[in-house]
Amino acid sequence: MRTTTPAGNLAASGVVPGFPSAGRIVARGSTALALLGALIIWLALLGPFAVLIQHLSFHSIRAALGPPGALDPLWTSLGASAVALGAMVLLGTPLAYLLARGRLPLARIVELGILLPLMMPPLVIGLLLIFLIGPDGTLGNLLADIHLTGVNTFFALIVAEFYEAAPFYVLGAHAAFASVDPRIEQDATLLGDRPLQAFRRITLPLAAPGLATGLATAWARAMGAFGAVVIIAYYPRGLPNQIFIAFQEFSLPGALPFALLLVVAALPLPVLAYLWSARTRSRVAGAEAP
Amino acid sequence: MTGTPSSLLEVDMEVERRQVTVAAAFTLQAGERLAIFGTSGAGKTTILESIAGLVQLTSGKVRVDGKLVAGRLKGERALEPRHRQVALVRQPTTLFPHLTVEQNVAYGIRRSPARGQISDLLDRLGLTTLARARGAALSGGQRQRVALGRALASPFRVLLLDEPLSAVDLAARQELRQLTIEASLDRNAAGILVTHDLTEAQAFSDQLGIIDDGRLLQLGGAHEVVLFPRSRRVAELVGYGGFVPVPSAVDSLFAIHPDRVVPGAAPQRGVVLTGTVLSTRPFGPRYECTVCERSGERFAVHVDAPPAVGTECTLTALDPPVVAP
Repeated sequence: MRTTTPAGNLAASGVVPGFPSAGRIVARGSTALALLGALIIWLALLGPFAVLIQHLSFHSIRAALGPPGALDPLWTSLGASAVALGAMVLLGTPLAYLLARGRLPLARIVELGILLPLMMPPLVIGLLLIFLIGPDGTLGNLLADIHLTGVNTFFALIVAEFYEAAPFYVLGAHAAFASVDPRIEQDATLLGDRPLQAFRRITLPLAAPGLATGLATAWARAMGAFGAVVIIAYYPRGLPNQIFIAFQEFSLPGALPFALLLVVAALPLPVLAYLWSARTRSRVAGAEAP
Repeated sequence: MTGTPSSLLEVDMEVERRQVTVAAAFTLQAGERLAIFGTSGAGKTTILESIAGLVQLTSGKVRVDGKLVAGRLKGERALEPRHRQVALVRQPTTLFPHLTVEQNVAYGIRRSPARGQISDLLDRLGLTTLARARGAALSGGQRQRVALGRALASPFRVLLLDEPLSAVDLAARQELRQLTIEASLDRNAAGILVTHDLTEAQAFSDQLGIIDDGRLLQLGGAHEVVLFPRSRRVAELVGYGGFVPVPSAVDSLFAIHPDRVVPGAAPQRGVVLTGTVLSTRPFGPRYECTVCERSGERFAVHVDAPPAVGTECTLTALDPPVVAP
């Protein structure tokens, strides 16, 4: 039996055996360009880390971080960021959920309020916070009544970090909750759950990867907050302030060990959160239970 | 389905949607099953979601066992969803994607010793080997089985099914339908199926409602509605494809159903029609012929042996219902 090639069909599809079509060449070219672009961006983003490692020696690290009290800025930053993060979770989670479910009146205005600190330069936020919670500020007087001072205190550091980082968590949490189909929450309540039970058993586990990513981003942002912090909470000295001061006093070699410390302290949580999110997402989208 | 104080489900609702106002009023006794049949976008799903109390009614109310489930009444608050005893299977299916098949099916069971029941149910649903799989790994038909199982395992008094078997292969449908009916009868519950598949509707229910453009046009016995449509629109929806003028009456039409026509003249069995065969084509094991009646009206008939195209033929429409144009 002899078979024939349906030449007409091949011609119609634009494919000639042995000769790649123009479309295929363009597709291959654009894939190569995209890969090249991705590589350049990846290298560019990793560049500063490489430089940081390259310019640090064990001796310089020990000299900077060895003296007593040298790690105090680290504990200050960790403490303030943890408290700020707790406040974000406590206040931001319900807000993000209500926004995602469209249950807040004037939702657009609320969203704008959340975005505003993101759009404003952190230095300006710091200046405005002085007017708000400083000794002569509107809220400052009220804070004084409960023995809190809004400038150059641990509390001021928390507030400054909160302002710089909270929008990242709320927006991340908003996206995470919006990705959960509200109909399955309804299904859970019809199957006997109280609303809070449905939230705990259904919404929270499904939104958890997104919440973790938002939380990790906010943590990194809070740990690295500087613009508002340098204005309103120069003391107690957190790590970003310490880097700035060391840079001014001892130039680059003096600042780099603290920069490394900040990276080491701030990065593990985001990296772990990213890995956990990716694993959880693939588990939900995958086949078998563990 | 007349309203009595002992009705398990009382529905009298109106919901305004963007394109259509959906309205329905009926009652169901314990053990009764109703199928709501209509085209896509007719408002079937809105009726189910309203009965589940998930949609805010523009007016009216829904009661389950005498208790308010949806609607606003002075001095009476609607039951919380968890107390409604309403099980809902949606289309498209909404599983809990982070839970396994077994966890999904067992979700509505509050007491622990029901493990044995769950494995029996998984077995009947054909899901035993998939018990530890998650939703994303399942096909459309398997997802529908899980959603059905989750509803059937819950302690429902009203079972609401939105095209629950549309993606299930035909061979398994009969078994799953039987399982659903048994579960509904065991609990002495009321069941409502919405579908655009008439045979599915009739197989599930003893009552049939025809919905179009948001309105329940006709409600009655599952066979009766098909045999005696009250209007031309209902007739069209349940499959009548031709409308031939009644010779002795103005503004009246015989509705011709393709499957209720036999070849030859049998005046004692119905109305004798003559016409010309315009076309024939295979239709399952039979043939579908398009016939042009003497009045000029065209209609389709299903026959075992196709007449030649262009020939004159005589047919008898078996007791055709009469509807207004």
